[in-house]
Amino acid sequence: MIERARFIFRGQMACESFTEFAQHRARRLDLDIEMEACDAMSATLAVKGQVDLVDAFEMACSLGPYDCIILDIERSDI
Amino acid sequence: MKLEAGWVPVALSASIEPGTSAGAVVEGSEIVVWRDNSGNAHVWEDRCPHRGMRLSFGFVRGDHIACLYHGWQYDIAGQCRYIPAHPSLEVPQTIKVPTYSAKERYGIIWATTAGEVSLPDIEVATGVTPVRSLYVERGADDVFAALTKAGTGDLIGNVGLLQAGDDRLLLAVQVVSPEKTAVHVLILGSPAVNAGAKQKHYAQWAEGLRFDLEQMAEVA
Repeated sequence: MIERARFIFRGQMACESFTEFAQHRARRLDLDIEMEACDAMSATLAVKGQVDLVDAFEMACSLGPYDCIILDIERSDI
Repeated sequence: MKLEAGWVPVALSASIEPGTSAGAVVEGSEIVVWRDNSGNAHVWEDRCPHRGMRLSFGFVRGDHIACLYHGWQYDIAGQCRYIPAHPSLEVPQTIKVPTYSAKERYGIIWATTAGEVSLPDIEVATGVTPVRSLYVERGADDVFAALTKAGTGDLIGNVGLLQAGDDRLLLAVQVVSPEKTAVHVLILGSPAVNAGAKQKHYAQWAEGLRFDLEQMAEVA
């Protein structure tokens, strides 16, 4: 089943690092990804792909790259 | 020799039985050498794409190898085919283990990432008898020097031939790291003739060679 979801990752963000990290995980999980916004406190992005892999993407990004701290994740259907 | 430079001996064929796997290192690159139940040998990067676990700790089932950690199963092309936690998932093509070309010749499993390169041409009309793989805490230059001193001639890349009385030994050298080297030792000739006492004799000879090399390191 294909799912489209929007995520807002909140915490301490290093945008360049987080974007690269998220795009790498999305490629590995065969997800389409669109970065929508990023600042020092949050990153918003949309992904599309198999629902299990969207779940895996959320889990992978919850760890974040070493220079980001993810404190909260908001997920919504698109 | 690095994997991208040509064929590297990574294990004795006899050491990797069907349905088993083993880890090896070539100039710092960690690899898994495994043999499927059909008898074909495979050499891959020793890392599950999921959590980085060594696939050499995994288990072989038929023509798949599964990671010990979460059981992700990979086919002989390195493609992930099954994730136990998501049994109905159509696994994407992007979840794949980097693989190397592998060949078996002269009783040795060879691996490379280079394109069209040929293996050393060695006359083994009557077969080979595996002796053992020897891991030496010395760099390759010292090992090659010791092999040459022992009478090894005909060094072809990372392979040498040593005449020992009536016997000929094939010695294939694998650089593990700047300080560690593996030597795969075989007797040229049929196991029907050489298995048993000769294998033991040359295994002891190889261990003596290692002892001398490592003693040299301690003295230095």
